[in-house]
Amino acid sequence: MTELPLFDLETRLGRLSDVDRDIGSLAAGGAGCLFATFVLFVLNSTLAVIPLIGFLAVTGYGWYAHQAETARALTFLATASTILILGLITVYVFVEALPVLQRMGVRLFGFTEPVEVFGVTLIPSVESYWSTSQHVYSLIPMIWGTFVTTLIATAIAAPLGIAAALFLAEIAPPLVRETVKPGVEILAGIPSIVYGYLGFVVLNTFLYENLEMANLGSLFLVGLVIGLMALPTVVSVADDALTSVPDAMRDGAVAMGLTEWQTMKSITLPAALSGVSAAVLLGIGRAVGETMAATVILGHSQVLPDPLQDVFDNTETLTSLIASQYGNANGLHMNALFTAGVVLFVTVLVLSIAARRIELRMDRKLGGGQ
Amino acid sequence: MSYTAESELVVDNTSTAERLASAVVGLGLVTFVFSLVGVTQVVTAETTILGISLYDFLAGGLLLMGVGTVSLGIGSRTGVFNTSPDATPGAVTAALFGLGAFALAGLVASQSLGLGTVGWLLGATLVGGVTFAGVALAPEDIGSTLPPGVAAIGVAVAILAGIITPAFAWEPEGFSATLTGSMAIPLLLAASTLVTMWGGAKAYEGYGSKGRQTAAYLLVGINAVSIIAVLVALLLFIASKGIGPAFEGFSLVPFEWPFVTNGYSFRPEVVNGVFPAIMGTIWLVIGAVITGVPVAVAAAIFLTEYAEQGRFVGAVEIATNGLWSTPSVVYGLFGYAFLIPRLGGTTSLISGMLVLGFMLMPLCLITSREAIKAVPDEYRDASAALGVSRWETIRSVVLPAAMPGILTGVILGVGRIAGETAPILLVMAGGLRDDAPNVLGSFEFISSPPFVANDALLESAPALPYQLYATITAGVSAENAAAFGWATAFVLLVVVLSFYALGIASRLYFRRRLNA
Amino acid sequence: MTDTSSLGANAPTDTTVAENADRPQTTDRHEDTPDSWTDYAFEGEPKLSVDGLDVHYGSDQALDDISIEIPEQSVTALIGPSGCGKSTFLRCLNRMNDRIRAAEVDGTVTFEGQDIYQDGLDLVELRKRVGMVFQAPNPFPKSIRDNIAYGPRKHGTVQTDLLAKLTGRDDSDQEDEIVERSLRQAAIWEEVNDRLDDNALGLSGGQQQRLCIARCLAVDPEVILMDEPASALDPIATAKIEDLIEELAEEYTVVIVTHNMQQAARISDQTAVFLTGGRLVEYGETDQVFENPKSQRVEDYITGKFG
Repeated sequence: MTELPLFDLETRLGRLSDVDRDIGSLAAGGAGCLFATFVLFVLNSTLAVIPLIGFLAVTGYGWYAHQAETARALTFLATASTILILGLITVYVFVEALPVLQRMGVRLFGFTEPVEVFGVTLIPSVESYWSTSQHVYSLIPMIWGTFVTTLIATAIAAPLGIAAALFLAEIAPPLVRETVKPGVEILAGIPSIVYGYLGFVVLNTFLYENLEMANLGSLFLVGLVIGLMALPTVVSVADDALTSVPDAMRDGAVAMGLTEWQTMKSITLPAALSGVSAAVLLGIGRAVGETMAATVILGHSQVLPDPLQDVFDNTETLTSLIASQYGNANGLHMNALFTAGVVLFVTVLVLSIAARRIELRMDRKLGGGQ
Repeated sequence: MSYTAESELVVDNTSTAERLASAVVGLGLVTFVFSLVGVTQVVTAETTILGISLYDFLAGGLLLMGVGTVSLGIGSRTGVFNTSPDATPGAVTAALFGLGAFALAGLVASQSLGLGTVGWLLGATLVGGVTFAGVALAPEDIGSTLPPGVAAIGVAVAILAGIITPAFAWEPEGFSATLTGSMAIPLLLAASTLVTMWGGAKAYEGYGSKGRQTAAYLLVGINAVSIIAVLVALLLFIASKGIGPAFEGFSLVPFEWPFVTNGYSFRPEVVNGVFPAIMGTIWLVIGAVITGVPVAVAAAIFLTEYAEQGRFVGAVEIATNGLWSTPSVVYGLFGYAFLIPRLGGTTSLISGMLVLGFMLMPLCLITSREAIKAVPDEYRDASAALGVSRWETIRSVVLPAAMPGILTGVILGVGRIAGETAPILLVMAGGLRDDAPNVLGSFEFISSPPFVANDALLESAPALPYQLYATITAGVSAENAAAFGWATAFVLLVVVLSFYALGIASRLYFRRRLNA
Repeated sequence: MTDTSSLGANAPTDTTVAENADRPQTTDRHEDTPDSWTDYAFEGEPKLSVDGLDVHYGSDQALDDISIEIPEQSVTALIGPSGCGKSTFLRCLNRMNDRIRAAEVDGTVTFEGQDIYQDGLDLVELRKRVGMVFQAPNPFPKSIRDNIAYGPRKHGTVQTDLLAKLTGRDDSDQEDEIVERSLRQAAIWEEVNDRLDDNALGLSGGQQQRLCIARCLAVDPEVILMDEPASALDPIATAKIEDLIEELAEEYTVVIVTHNMQQAARISDQTAVFLTGGRLVEYGETDQVFENPKSQRVEDYITGKFG
């Protein structure tokens, strides 16, 4: 066996530049092909398949000849695709919503009465909230519906979920914890359409009969069902947050003669606040975006309940509006449904960024000692 | 120097007070369970126990609890029972009792006495304020037993004396619903039982911080058990409704399971089944895994192994979180606007696959990243110290070590998307069908681009969750339709929850192996 | 640090001490450790007295038949190689071991003559009187003031919440007094008195540890258990903590676990040496243990031949 020289400048440089040139052209070719594929696909041309084949060929050769570099490039592409997909969703949902956004302007959030502050009309009135024949689309009833159902769901899921997480993380004996926690995680997987079916077939009738309601389906029931649906998720995430609080902190309080309840109330829970509030925001996000339960339970009327606080009335949520009307919608009507999607998308995005912010801030606040 | 009153280190606990308090709590637990069942109207006022109407029976129990709690408080104050109460029950307790008194007084004033808005508001504020001040200023033992005890006695008397009967009906103004006695009685019973039990549990430990702990543990425990009980009851209910129709015509030898192996044929003599929907769901999952998982894992590798924390990574993190939290119906809209026009112009299986793949991607990206991060750096260092290149290290050391975590994430993600309905609604649809999509058999080569065609991919296919929705929109009033729906719901539950159970079990297994 | 001694003048010396003369004497001492090695005679009643203490974690024996009496208002050092059970022993003295579910404790531990493992013992009261400082500083993520006032508030010693203010029972002055006294006693008042409302996590490690000591003092304990309180600190911070411990012993009974033998020699009045297997091998006056150990193994350990 011959010893390779550890550093032989001339041959090494020569080899390097050869390899570099090869990789450079491969990268350029691959990127070009991929870009062409994407552009052609967006332009809706079946020719997109030709550069795709080119890309696959380049990748295949790259994998064979320069695996490490190819792998790195591919993983980079995959990473970049997350941004691309979010961008595509944003662009396409917005573009489809644009005609109605332009047509309605601020009246998209209009009431049947003009909204005036000190005599200045901020939002002109709409003739009716949702009229597909006159192409008047105001999202106010749907926003109200989503708001009310989310409020009810959060009022159920947040306190009960946090309390149950406290029980699991701090009080329950290990054996109970180890059996119940996976159980709760499994329960978090019950598909929403199953809840919806239950709500539609059983609960709707039950409430109709026992609360002598005027109609089948109500925002109240939707909120209740969504709250129940979000509970296991909130419990599970809040439990994770609580168990991640270091034991040293609890020990410090207990060693001062505090009861465990005082410790979890004033030390553990505040210390886990970022995670717990993330759990609640996650639950709220779910509730805002929940579609199927609302769609099958509600009676779909695109007006505000009268009077406004009547949660036992039918209204519509942003999600159920889309799911119940897409089938017979076209033209402006379909564009109007996309505006509901825009509002949903923006709301949930803001919630998710807020959750992230809270988490980072709390981490920084707590970070010093840990 | 000592600010603290020296209290006994050892407390002798077995006393009449303790026995009385446990009786209150025990009675309360029974009453609470029956009241909760009463809310579901499984048992009603017509149910009798020992010849007494159920609600009268429960109200009798509540009366006893109320009397017991009040005597516990008075006994402690007069020194009959040996306790160590604090100076006050605390502001939170006082505020909650004040609120409760406000609500009760308001209801009584407006509904029973018929006072106008000003009247009831005034009365309620007065009663609430007095209760708040009274509780806040009272010593802990009185402040935390008297109000619940009195409320319990009041509710019990109202039910026993027939002031609130099942025929009672309260139609709150501005709501299109009526609170009937048959709902109000169990709800009232449940609420007052909880509060009274809380007082009893405090008395059990002789008040003070330990009393508050026991009382809080009782309520927190009841809450946790109730949540689990409700969710499990829900599963059992679906199973009880669905197992019958799902196993119609089932036989082991020769193996026949028409509900799972048949399609929906609209013929009365054949058992309708969900075979096409099961196949559709399987194809959807396969398609989503092929499109979503490799991208997710590759991105996770790049983020953990190659990328430096910086603006690009920050942007990717925001994008991932955004994608992760985007409502599924928005994915549906995106598929409708972007994919459908480019993939044949109609709702299709491949659009469904791609949209679910987009949804699966962020789920798997987050879990894979965690899994790769969890691989100890020693592995990487050891490999690098042997002169192995970075990519070689990732391929042969990091990925195998992270594989269990990645797999777990994929399984859980698949469980989530397999139950998704909203995006499918918009991009795939596909109602009740007799034949399963034949994806493999439909591939053919053609001369013009894109050179490959597959009709099965380009048309709608049924899927379990959508089928359940289709059952609802088709109307469950038709004969057997509801039963078919329950059976579909049951099969869907079994499929989705199996994925979850598998994912969670594998996570537990690998976590335990990692810790061992 | 001027008047700590006058502040703590009437430390709890007047508590009743039960007769423990009729305690059964252990007979089955280990062959290799004669009773005379661990018998330590001192004047007055013991503050803490441990008899035949065994601790198991599952099948592992952490402590093996420990008997020891600890005098009050002194510093008792527990030394020994790592894994010898000295921390476990310390956590038995205020029943912090109860929080480790696998721990199984046999034998008796008496505090002022009362068995702390008997039924009906008030854990809260015990831990109020037997405070603890941990190895790593563990301040709560709250302000410095809240950290100190936390115990007194929760124990109802001071009432400063809104309700107390409304009903004229506001104890803010008393709370300030406790905060200042505790911080002074822990020799950290001068460093933090201008920023009491800052987050405690912003302090340095040594300051955090003294804050934890102050937090413990604010509850007004009689015994302070310290589990290697200086092991995570730099030499300067360690010196400060050591000075502090010597001062505290004028008023409190201090039991300190340390792996640093020089530290034990410097600050303690009596020293107990634990060796592997969870056994107490020698116990006596610090000077005697370090200069003239009775056991050969202890001598080897102290002179650095093993451990």
